[in-house]
Amino acid sequence: MTGAARVSISNRFYLALLALVAGGLATPGARAGDAAAGKDVFKSECAECHAVAEGRNKKGPSLFGIVGRKAGSVAGYDYSDALKQSPWTWTTEQLHTYLSQPAKKANPGTKMKYDGLDDAKDLDNLISYLETLH
Amino acid sequence: MGGRRTLRSTDSKKEPTMLPPTNRRTKRRNHTFLLGGILAALLLFVCGTAQAIPAYARQTGAACADCHAGAYGPALTPYGMRFKLGGYTDTDGKGTKIPLALQLTETHNNPARGSSSTALTEGDLYLAGRLTDQVGGFVKVEADHTGHNTYNTKLSSVDLRFVAKELKIGGKDTLFGISVNNSPGFNDPIAALPSASFLGPAGVTGSLLNPSSPNSLANRVIGATAYALYDDNWYGEAGTYRSLPTSQQDHLGYNIGGDPGRLRDTAYGRFAYMKDMKKQFFSAGVVGLTTKRQLPRSGPSDDIVDLGYDLTYQYLGNRDHIVQLAYVNILEKRDYGSTPVIGGVLARDKGIVHDQTMTVTYTFKQTYGLTFTHFKSTGSRDLARFGPSGDPDTTTNLISLYWAPFGKDDSYTSIANLKLAATWFRFSRFAGREDDIFFAPPGTQRTDARDLNAFSISASIAF
Repeated sequence: MTGAARVSISNRFYLALLALVAGGLATPGARAGDAAAGKDVFKSECAECHAVAEGRNKKGPSLFGIVGRKAGSVAGYDYSDALKQSPWTWTTEQLHTYLSQPAKKANPGTKMKYDGLDDAKDLDNLISYLETLH
Repeated sequence: MGGRRTLRSTDSKKEPTMLPPTNRRTKRRNHTFLLGGILAALLLFVCGTAQAIPAYARQTGAACADCHAGAYGPALTPYGMRFKLGGYTDTDGKGTKIPLALQLTETHNNPARGSSSTALTEGDLYLAGRLTDQVGGFVKVEADHTGHNTYNTKLSSVDLRFVAKELKIGGKDTLFGISVNNSPGFNDPIAALPSASFLGPAGVTGSLLNPSSPNSLANRVIGATAYALYDDNWYGEAGTYRSLPTSQQDHLGYNIGGDPGRLRDTAYGRFAYMKDMKKQFFSAGVVGLTTKRQLPRSGPSDDIVDLGYDLTYQYLGNRDHIVQLAYVNILEKRDYGSTPVIGGVLARDKGIVHDQTMTVTYTFKQTYGLTFTHFKSTGSRDLARFGPSGDPDTTTNLISLYWAPFGKDDSYTSIANLKLAATWFRFSRFAGREDDIFFAPPGTQRTDARDLNAFSISASIAF
């Protein structure tokens, strides 16, 4: 291997590292979850009350397009006043904060009855799965 | 199921009496009649039990498979238990839905002895749903095929509820409810008790908490219970029942030969701990029923006490592979009000009956299911009451394989359903015997326990 080639590979490595760091800084706190594993978490934790199909509401609203959506904004779903008046947008960070604790503590007055997901890895995986629902 | 009634006396309390002698031929007739009832009841329980009700799916927006392990039911998931506890009132908030559903069941029955038959065996109308956030219910009207294109229509299960939700006691979530129902245990959330699972041992006798017992209470009584769920885990219930007058039973579609008799001082109690861990669930509970029963109604009063316990476990995981285990053990203590002499034999003044049911179900993708149930009914010997062997011990197995393609979030429809099932009933012991269970006289055809076996294929639709 020539010296020029070594330099080229080395540069590419640093560029890739830089890109990763920059990406991390651009979305502080972003978590690398496994969406496939998150689908299983969804089935055991969420699926009874939430559908993933667009426009299909169960006891809770459809989670289609949940990431990036304004809270309390699914048409045709009768939200609690607490969520309707919430200024939240469901970013991955907001979802992480909301789902890591009892729903009624995170949003007093909400209709959602959920004790929160304690397992950090499951939560990351779940949120990664929710990001795929578009 | 009126066989047992013919073996009872009408005399005063504790007085030995002489009834007309009952020879073995009469007893065989009684047993044959009883047997027909047992097989019919088993078929009805398996094919026509309270299944997933599409009206609830339309009301909640949920799929049948959210509340039931197999998409057609009947076994409940923890979510289904909470829906039941909440008085069937959950909603998707999209206005009032018509609280009606229909179920039709066609069955091909192939008994080990006797001719096969194919018929539309049952049609059901469900009035099921919510009235308000606090009031909801379940009412089933059932038409059963009785032969030659005739059907008997009857008022089947009833469970009307008032609930007060989202209360706090000591900082813990608490739910209070009142259920008006017509079968002790039918309204149980865990749904392992025989009245709720419709899985109870069949035999020549059985406990009052078992709807398969002769002269059972199921659907022929009316009662009210108050219940509470504390901290999502602790369940308690207490209530009382009275039997319907025979005239009302007749009007509601029931043969009065199955009258449970007059009940007095009846109390029902239930206490259970249940833990929902999302991927797993377990429960442990106790149940009790006490009553003074006159059967026949003009006769003496029997003191009857049922005490039982039940254990359940569910592995739910991601719902692809669900395993459900349930064990129910009910002991009934009887203090008879009379000791008649039947066929020259003096009946005993006390007795016990012991019902045990163990069920294992595996469900794949909530679509394919295999259920194995082992029933065991035992009791104290009584030649007069349980003749001719005097031994009530009966052991039965039920094996059912089914396919329920719809009723899931990702299926063609989540609010209507189809179930194809193949079911085997196996009798390994009946009335204490494996062979010649009716003591056939020499030269006549004898009946072994295995001759009572039956195989059936059924197709059910619900919408």
